[in-house]
Amino acid sequence: MASNTNIQITELDFSNIKQNFITYLQSQDTFKDYNFSGSALSVLLDILAYNTQYNAYYLNMVANEMFLDSAIQRSSVVSHAKLLNYVPKSAIAPTATINFTVNNVGGATLTLPRFTSFLSESVNSVNYNFVTTDSYTVSTANSAAVFNNVELKQGNPVSYSFLVDSTSNPKYLFTLSDANIDTSTMQVLVQQSSSNTSYTIYQPASDFLTLNSESNVYFLQESLTGYYEIYFGDGVLGNQLSDGNLVLVSFISTSGTASAGANNFVFTGGAATFANTVVTPVLAASNGSNKETIDSIKFQATKSFSAQNRAVTKDDYITAIQQNTLGITFDAVNVWGGELNNPPVYGQVFVCLKPTGAYNLTNSQKQQIITEILKPISVLTVTPNIVDPDYTYIKIVANVFYDPTKTVFTASEIQSGVTASISNFAKTTLNTFNSTFNSYDLLSAIQNFDQSIITSEFNIQLQKKFFPNITAPTTYKLYYNTPLEKGMFSSGIASSPGLMFLNPANTASTIDGVFIEEVPMQTFGVESISVLNPGFNYQSVPTITITGDGTGATAYPVIVNGSIQSVVVTNAGNNYTSAVATVTPAANDTKGQSASLNVVIQGQYGVLRSYYYNSTNTKTIFNSNVGTVDYVNGIITLNSFNPLDVDNALGQLAISVTPKTSIISSTYDGIITVDPFDNSAISVNVTAKKS
Amino acid sequence: MATLQKIYSDLDLTFNKVPGTRDVALSYDDQAVIRSVRYLLLTNFYERPFQPSLGSNLNKLLFEPFTNITASLLQNEIINVVTNYEPRVKVDHVNVTADPDHNSYSVYLQFYIGNNSTPTAVNLILQRSR
Repeated sequence: MASNTNIQITELDFSNIKQNFITYLQSQDTFKDYNFSGSALSVLLDILAYNTQYNAYYLNMVANEMFLDSAIQRSSVVSHAKLLNYVPKSAIAPTATINFTVNNVGGATLTLPRFTSFLSESVNSVNYNFVTTDSYTVSTANSAAVFNNVELKQGNPVSYSFLVDSTSNPKYLFTLSDANIDTSTMQVLVQQSSSNTSYTIYQPASDFLTLNSESNVYFLQESLTGYYEIYFGDGVLGNQLSDGNLVLVSFISTSGTASAGANNFVFTGGAATFANTVVTPVLAASNGSNKETIDSIKFQATKSFSAQNRAVTKDDYITAIQQNTLGITFDAVNVWGGELNNPPVYGQVFVCLKPTGAYNLTNSQKQQIITEILKPISVLTVTPNIVDPDYTYIKIVANVFYDPTKTVFTASEIQSGVTASISNFAKTTLNTFNSTFNSYDLLSAIQNFDQSIITSEFNIQLQKKFFPNITAPTTYKLYYNTPLEKGMFSSGIASSPGLMFLNPANTASTIDGVFIEEVPMQTFGVESISVLNPGFNYQSVPTITITGDGTGATAYPVIVNGSIQSVVVTNAGNNYTSAVATVTPAANDTKGQSASLNVVIQGQYGVLRSYYYNSTNTKTIFNSNVGTVDYVNGIITLNSFNPLDVDNALGQLAISVTPKTSIISSTYDGIITVDPFDNSAISVNVTAKKS
Repeated sequence: MATLQKIYSDLDLTFNKVPGTRDVALSYDDQAVIRSVRYLLLTNFYERPFQPSLGSNLNKLLFEPFTNITASLLQNEIINVVTNYEPRVKVDHVNVTADPDHNSYSVYLQFYIGNNSTPTAVNLILQRSR
């Protein structure tokens, strides 16, 4: 028999496998025609090689599916995740909030039932159905019932009814054949039997340590088919069902994120009691998500497993929050210990959350996350604390030069294209915690839009936006977290939109159109001395005398070839608001002459004042001191700020500053973002120029 | 007595038994080559895995009009497949004769095996089986 010590069993390619067989046959002499295509042996080799290849490929794919890292089929990934006790997240319906008033009602109370329908305005040409997920009951007053803050979720109600029968379904496994299910809206009732309608509400099982034989819980899993399945306890872990029980499941089948932003609803519930209704929008639909992807399952399952349902480390908190079952999704989550705060707050964990499609969480959502998600799994002595992100908005003005002979785009197309590039840059690189505004990436984004762009530059301004208290004087501190450029008037700190104040001269009237600007003041020592005219023929080092309203500043010049090259400030001195530096040649130097210098005064602080244009369109100072600017630390303080109104629909005031550097970083609770709702956030100037 | 060294040895796809030893019958030398040529002629394109061009198009040509042109195409096809895939053989000549009465072509293929000066012939009747 032939001996073959070098057989390649790892081959997956048909021709290589066949060649292996041929190599094997070469070491024997019973069959010699293996190399000729027409021979019978060659026919057999083909069949063998084909079969071997088929099996090898199949085994390779099977081996891939055996590991979470390499699995491709969703069912395999889900199965691996199941070993880590991870249930893939379903689609989550976006939630909107409305106030709902029903007029002309009789009776003392009125109930808005679960799954009452409302139709949204159109989002991308589709009107979405929204439903209530709970029932609400309110007392009526003056024949009207007012339901405040009713939560609506997008989707259509779906219900299933399963008869428990151990013969046909011995595992009591019930498949919910709906690909768009939002499992967070699922309600599971177990009815005694089809004739006995008393029922028990079953809860989703979460912590197995707390389960016993009486626990009315159901378990959720994703099946091989991609649908969710529910199953019940075995009488040890969770109550066991008995034959004849009826399992009633209801949930919302949602379109995921497609309806995000929907607002303005029309009541379509239709019951006679609800004939005369008014719907007032409160919050537009947000916080939806689509069914979890395979990649996300691979990522989240391992993280979830490592947290072991305990929140101890920073990542435990982040995972627990990202996986919440409350139906809230987040763009960014950051967690840090209170000891890192300034001043430190010991024994607290700070959690900063940026919800998807909204700026901040509502107070009730924050409370819910603390009590339902974080508190049950956090260490006993540690108090979780949710803070809102501190948004710093960037306004970008880009100047773009392009060569019109190298492009098919018009100037306005380049303008809108570059704007879109910048907006995309902002979306991908900013908008999260601990991020840095990267000017190189911004310029690349501009440059990469079209090959005709010769060069580009940009200026940025930072904005803080807040809602001033219009009922009582309040002091505000705005932290820009970067040194600010000192500017005078038009180039410096500015507020928008106009504010309305009480007229101090006549308290019966108001003054509208008041804006804030800066006056750099409270100067200290000499920051630097620049050379206006280097002079000539200095034989030895002249002396520099600094005179002004302050004291103590000293400096000496650096002489190169008889001229002053630079000036070194040896002592900045104190309390200067103005200063003049004079150059006096040394006593024995009769030739040196003509040097002149300019003194730059240090200034850490500036004053903010407010102004308006009076009836004759003259700029008039309204209040010469509304607050201060700390240029070095980038802090603006508005003292006892008490406007009566802010002149825009939201009542939001924006204060913009020019940063000293274009490297802007966000910290623990800071998010740098380009406001997608502000049309003036990105402006692009395009200039045609032949290169 | 010295045994003659066999140059070619191949399985026989009929898998007949050798009487006595009950082993699978093999074919040797000329016989092996003739069988190889027959197999090549009877193999259609795309029949062997991953080798789509191995074989000949005879089967398809049998469904073409019964003319001399088809006979000529059959002849070319036979020469091509044997020349391309059977290096042991040098084709001497091929005759394809139409036999309209039996709806068939009779093929006479004469070739030399290796350096053997005696020609070998293969006779085939090509007939549509359906």
